[in-house]
Amino acid sequence: MRDVIVIGAGGGGPVVAKELAGRGLDVLLLEAGPRHADPDSEWTHLENDANNPLTGFLRFGPQDRGAPAWYRETPQNSFIWQLSGVGGTTQHYFGNCPRAMPGVFTGYDGADRDAYDTAHLFPFSYDELVPYYEWVEATLPVQTAAMGTKESVFFRGCEGIGLPVQTTKTTVEDSFRPQQNAILQPGGWAGKVTGRDDPRLRYPESTGCTFCGYCMQGCSMPHGAPRNLAAKRSTDNSYVPMALTADAWADGGRAAELIADAYVTRIHTERRSGETVATGVTWRVGSTGEVHREDAAVVVLAGGCTESPRLWLNSALPNPNGWVGRGYTDHFFDWMIGLFDERTESSKGAASAARADFPGRGGMENVGLTPGLQQFAAVFSDSGIRGHHTNGRAPKGPWDGPAGRMIGPELKDALMNGIDRLLNILVITDDDVEAHNRVTLSALPADEHGPVPKVRFHQRRRSARTLANREFVARKAAEVLRAAGARKVVRVDWPPLLLHVQSSMRMGRSEDDSVLNADAEARWVKRLFVADNSALANSLGGPNPTLTAQALATRTAEKIFSTYFGGDPWVAREAPTVSTDARISSRLADVVG
Amino acid sequence: MPDQPVRTPDRLLARRTFLARIGVLGATSAVATAIPATTLARTSQAAPAAPAHPDTASVTDAALDRLLDLLRPVLSELSRDTLSGLVVMTSPGPDRFSAAQGTPRPEPGAIEAGGTDFIIEALDGFVPFPDQLSTPLLAALTTALDDTGIALPTSLNTLLLGQVATLDQALLVILRNDQTLPLSLVVALLLNLLATQVNPLSVTGVLSSPFARLSLDEKCRAFELLEGPDADLIGLLDANLPEPLRDSLSGLLRFLAGALLEFSAFGSYNEWAVFDRQTRELTARPVGWELSGYQPDGVVHGWDDFIGYYQDRSEVGA
Repeated sequence: MRDVIVIGAGGGGPVVAKELAGRGLDVLLLEAGPRHADPDSEWTHLENDANNPLTGFLRFGPQDRGAPAWYRETPQNSFIWQLSGVGGTTQHYFGNCPRAMPGVFTGYDGADRDAYDTAHLFPFSYDELVPYYEWVEATLPVQTAAMGTKESVFFRGCEGIGLPVQTTKTTVEDSFRPQQNAILQPGGWAGKVTGRDDPRLRYPESTGCTFCGYCMQGCSMPHGAPRNLAAKRSTDNSYVPMALTADAWADGGRAAELIADAYVTRIHTERRSGETVATGVTWRVGSTGEVHREDAAVVVLAGGCTESPRLWLNSALPNPNGWVGRGYTDHFFDWMIGLFDERTESSKGAASAARADFPGRGGMENVGLTPGLQQFAAVFSDSGIRGHHTNGRAPKGPWDGPAGRMIGPELKDALMNGIDRLLNILVITDDDVEAHNRVTLSALPADEHGPVPKVRFHQRRRSARTLANREFVARKAAEVLRAAGARKVVRVDWPPLLLHVQSSMRMGRSEDDSVLNADAEARWVKRLFVADNSALANSLGGPNPTLTAQALATRTAEKIFSTYFGGDPWVAREAPTVSTDARISSRLADVVG
Repeated sequence: MPDQPVRTPDRLLARRTFLARIGVLGATSAVATAIPATTLARTSQAAPAAPAHPDTASVTDAALDRLLDLLRPVLSELSRDTLSGLVVMTSPGPDRFSAAQGTPRPEPGAIEAGGTDFIIEALDGFVPFPDQLSTPLLAALTTALDDTGIALPTSLNTLLLGQVATLDQALLVILRNDQTLPLSLVVALLLNLLATQVNPLSVTGVLSSPFARLSLDEKCRAFELLEGPDADLIGLLDANLPEPLRDSLSGLLRFLAGALLEFSAFGSYNEWAVFDRQTRELTARPVGWELSGYQPDGVVHGWDDFIGYYQDRSEVGA
């Protein structure tokens, strides 16, 4: 019998595991996918080897790379880009850590208070979450992003359209800034030397970000650094190492146990005093097919926005208001490509180190990609093929020609202009929680873990506010590219790309349209908490969700500890240990064998 | 599999047209003389009133095996040509497929980058494709008739109807091979079907695949039909689907239209073709890297592109 079992070692689960292990609880952390304990021998810096969604080492699939990826039904043009494995989707994230817009929380009284998804606010105030933001920002740590050439081009464009600079963590007006990101700032020779196997690029001659440009391929730079000193603070480099070494850095801490290749197929419950109570889980070992069951005082569900509702439904847990899996938000991304005559160095440095925000509308960020992914992004469209067909869309605006995917000579010429002579902008929409965007169980055959999820997005029937926000930000993105000097601007009009995912098991103020109460505990199953992005009440107004999910998970860990283990909250009265602490590095050398 | 209809001469004529449209008839013309004929619309071992089924048709097993040996490489080439016609949409080069679509280019493209093999490997080896969708899809391809009145050129009218029936039987065996679903062949046949809807003249010509014979503009039109998805296409394919999956099929076609182009683009510009899985190193410079100027000196572990901090601000307040 464990104190706590955490299902999923992605962006959120390890936060709860680390915090509660730090309090001395017996924590078991289960991960369905692989654990990449030695990136130097398992990873490359090559995009197909890394990112192929069917075969890459960063995919949503089992530990055995020879076996097919796990299937989800997506009955529309769309793409779910979540990852399995220790670190989850943070393995390929860009580390960006903006705070949510204050306007998406209860109690906000700014002049723009009506500009947000006010029907689906967080059930507590922004001020209440701030100490947890600060705690996570100090733990990861979150710092101001270093600037490379592509950021300087983005800033020039923002300056050119008259946006002011934001110099605070909390966003209060339309503005631009370097990202606050979970990427260690370059030190020593990092960012100052180009090369391979150059001793100056090894730790400790280099510390932090070496500007290698491989954020999307997983970060283990600089070479020779202990895992918890890798530049990008994906949870495999930050929270998981802390959870596994809690006895080394926390007084009274107890190291959590991590089991990878362990797919949880059922959450068990029983009736106690008229209530349904979570009692444990069953998981299947991928490599052997063996099935294990363990009980726990508290179960924490953190399988991600697609898998958490699937597991809930497959476990036949209560769903009286039908909101399990509903209200899935994805920031309804779009993609703008600017072609330049000058060098932008798009493939170098942290993949996305600059952003602009438009409260009540959304935001945007620059993104640098590798050649294959660049072309993937350029043909991923809901507007048909530029100049050939519109698929009923193809909006026009301050970009060149109708929106749509490039093809043939135009597509090739765009890349032959130079991977380092372009600038991409990701359009991030403040999108509404809508009941019809949802996860259900597919009628297609089950896999070895039960019925598979069906993820349905009605991209053409989104709310008027969502659609207007997307058009607003898309125009801003095109204007920024023009002002920065782009010779040609192409709007791709992406279908849903599920990378920023939120709110499919949302907490909320109303019992009628939420699954979780304000403590992130399931309304209908006691001792069951949700601690991934699915717990978020809404899409945050557009900011990238990982930081807020981690702040919320920290708060949830406190709620678990005080509600079920008789402990006191700690965030308000203690200082966090930073995840780069030398005691963690030292102990990691022992526990990672 | 659902029951086959009675194979009357009229139906076989329509079936022959359909086989021409998906590219199978044209591709098999070289081996046509080796195709034995079944006996038409006769009772076999089944009860006298029962319709003839492919499973009970009167070609001997040995003759069928010989035909399968001939047919497999032919269909494999049909797949390759069709998917080559697909990948050059995303990166035309100096190859015959780019020339056929009217966009020849002097510098290397998708073919040189191994895009065709990338797509085939992905489709056949790694795309999870549930039987609930593949079985009816295969049923549609192996039983569909064409009554649109597309006139076949005489070069495609050489097979006797009995030979058409045998060819059908062999195609069924190949597509129903449950060891590995040849999804690449299924996709190729679908693309060819759409190609001949866009341009009926593409049933014959150079290259073995109707889709690969289209101009780039016509290929885009074929994708418009797939992405729509086209009601006729849905009508053809969903006849065999159980009710809960009708919605899934049109969704799948929308997904497929996007995914085929996205994967073609990804595979035509990444390092797949020159990656050594044993050493985890590149054996040559990837085409996409050369075209884009990416990593001019190969993989690096750092770049000297750190300029500083915007307005010299390396931290911010609350």
